[in-house]
Amino acid sequence: MSVLVRAVDLAAAYPQAETPAIEHVTFELAAGERIGVLGPNGGGKSTLFRVLLGELEATHGVVEGGDRFAFVPQTERSRLDYPVSALDVALMGTLSRVPWWRRTSGRDRRFARAALARVGLEAVTDVTFGELSGGQRQRVLVARALVQDAPVLLLDEPFTGVDRPSGELLEALLAELAHEGRGVMIATHDLDQALAWDKVLCLNRRMVAFGAPGETMTRAVLEETFGAAVVALPGEGEAVGVMPAHHHGDDHT
Amino acid sequence: MLTPFHYAFVQRGALELVLLSVGAGVLGTWIVLRGLAFYSHGVAAAAFPGLVLADGIGFAPQLGAFGAAVAFGFGVERLAHRRREGHDTLTALVLVGALALGVILASDVFHSQANIESLLFGSVLAVGDADLAVAGAVSAGVVVAAAAFGRRWLAVGFDAGSARALGIRGALTDAVLLLAIVVAVTSALAAVGTMLAGALYVVPAATTRLWIGRLRPWQAASVALAAAEGVVGLWLAVEVNVPPGAAIAVLAGGVFAVAAAARAVPRTALAAVTAGVLVAGCGAGGTNARPVVVATTTQIGDWTRAVAGDEVRVHQILQPNTDPHEYEPRPDDVLATAGAKLVLENGVGLDAWMAKVVSRAGGDPRVVDLSTVRTARRQDDPHWWHDPRNAEAAVRAIAAALGRVEPDRRATFARNAARYERRLRRLDATIARCFAQVPKAELKLVTSHDAFGYFAARYGITVIGAVIPSQTTEAQPSAGDVARLVALIEREHVKAIFPESSINSQLADEIARETGATASYHLYGDTLGPKGSSGATYLAMERANANAIIRGLTGGRRGCA
Repeated sequence: MSVLVRAVDLAAAYPQAETPAIEHVTFELAAGERIGVLGPNGGGKSTLFRVLLGELEATHGVVEGGDRFAFVPQTERSRLDYPVSALDVALMGTLSRVPWWRRTSGRDRRFARAALARVGLEAVTDVTFGELSGGQRQRVLVARALVQDAPVLLLDEPFTGVDRPSGELLEALLAELAHEGRGVMIATHDLDQALAWDKVLCLNRRMVAFGAPGETMTRAVLEETFGAAVVALPGEGEAVGVMPAHHHGDDHT
Repeated sequence: MLTPFHYAFVQRGALELVLLSVGAGVLGTWIVLRGLAFYSHGVAAAAFPGLVLADGIGFAPQLGAFGAAVAFGFGVERLAHRRREGHDTLTALVLVGALALGVILASDVFHSQANIESLLFGSVLAVGDADLAVAGAVSAGVVVAAAAFGRRWLAVGFDAGSARALGIRGALTDAVLLLAIVVAVTSALAAVGTMLAGALYVVPAATTRLWIGRLRPWQAASVALAAAEGVVGLWLAVEVNVPPGAAIAVLAGGVFAVAAAARAVPRTALAAVTAGVLVAGCGAGGTNARPVVVATTTQIGDWTRAVAGDEVRVHQILQPNTDPHEYEPRPDDVLATAGAKLVLENGVGLDAWMAKVVSRAGGDPRVVDLSTVRTARRQDDPHWWHDPRNAEAAVRAIAAALGRVEPDRRATFARNAARYERRLRRLDATIARCFAQVPKAELKLVTSHDAFGYFAARYGITVIGAVIPSQTTEAQPSAGDVARLVALIEREHVKAIFPESSINSQLADEIARETGATASYHLYGDTLGPKGSSGATYLAMERANANAIIRGLTGGRRGCA
């Protein structure tokens, strides 16, 4: 299997910050692989994505490969008051291919409609983005990433605040995309779900562990990742009761 | 009802507004969408230091305004790149800096003599072919830029965090938008004035935003509304004779208020209110007979009335107590100029805007710059009328000019002028006598700004200083200037400071308190006083000034009645 992205001992810091936001991150993403990026809020998941996207420069280490990423941001980062339809948002995925002097072509439109159909939104293509449900909005942003047709997809907390049907559709879609030979990275703090991914990368400012979920997600690793007690490990037939206090961040307690 | 549109200058104004509306409506949607309304306003205001610089070094004011606006936009953009504050905070930050720089440049570096704002004189009533061409070109440019970059502006605004991943160079894309705003707003500024630039670029788009949720229809509606508000506002302005910039701004604001209220209020009530407003608008206004002579300043108006008597209709542009620096022509002014046979100007930069009004009004009046006949001269000082000998020369020139325009009445004009000149000579003699009674050592003058050079020179008064040490009222004294002035006043035992009636006298009062001098006698500097005041005519004004100065300097013991 070909390696799409390789990062070696990656570190990055925000301007004017004294300590790095992430450190010692080393991983490989192969074609057809889904990596769950696990960690608490503020643990550096979004920062890692920003470095991969080239928005934030690495202070140490290198990223090889993956010049082309598609990115699915958290839905609350997008403006609900903008005069854009689902189709308009999906069409934003063509901007990397269409030079600024060229207009949107019919082919681009068909492509965008197909992407919306793939995420089950063919019925709402002309509905204003702000009027869609949270799950539908997340799917529109995924459709936009599909339109980009990039070999690697980065998704930032795609399952947060998403209704069950949207979540299930999304999981199936990510499996399909991996099957097509794309690499997928999903930032999440849902441990149960992480068991389904091919690899997990545990991140709490520095990388705690990277590997197959079954071997990697030990009590010690998870405690170090989330900085709190793990009541029960996921996938052991018990209820998963992971550290409520730190899991969702202080604002939820 | 449509008579205003028979005038060529109104037609040109309407065309200019329609042309500007295309760019304004389209760019306005981006301004509203990207939260750049305050930035657009800042661009207009930030032109000030550029104008001062252009005047000081000597290049085209439009270039100065544009350069300053580009620097302003660049400053905001650079800061926005690094910091988290919204554009509003950064705009305020850079704007305050720009204005402060302008004040320092005007006050301490160039000691700006001219009226800086009038360098960028723009009014929709004084639109020329070049302005029309610029408006058309800018609108075309905006439409092209929006077509090319619109999708990227939308994507960056929609979620900036994904811009990079979508293959958009966010900083470059935003720079194009900010630059488009700079170009569009400064070009509108030079053609139609600050007020209108704001009213066109922001308000229509904000209004239609309330009703329309899709980009293309919204942009079309903004263009249509901007054009409609412009043309209707222009018509209203001509009908009720108010400056069109203000009329359009008020109309646009009113439409926004109605539109916003309408989101909450039943439609029928709305229709009633709208109809009421329209009816009220139609009822107002009236027409004016054609004047023959246009006088720019209050004193020239006064002289001209004295010389012309009832034979000629005199249209005076500036009104008492208005700062000539903040003048925007009213439709009446342009109408009068269009139909005038003679235009009388003060010259020396005080009413430089009049040249544009004359050239755009479409008439063919004889223009006389009265400063050319003055007998006493001071470099770059437009306040020559404060020497009655100059007034005498001006009155003689007015009579001659009127005689050429109306040869049949030549004898009447000459007789009236001769009588008025006698009164001027008597005035001059009286004032000179009054000052002769005050010991020379006590004749020391401190005023709001250097408007009394001619007066002081004529009557042997020493000007110790001015609270604003430059002739533009935009300039501000530095702390050092004020301290030096206070020390000077104390050393020279100056007993009185004289604020001007048309300029805020707070600082003069403060200095008076500091030094123990009195500041309770006001002088008439730039304009005559209103009807019924002691400075309602030129003769009364000069006497009142002399009286006030002598009373101030002698602690009220003497006067000059």
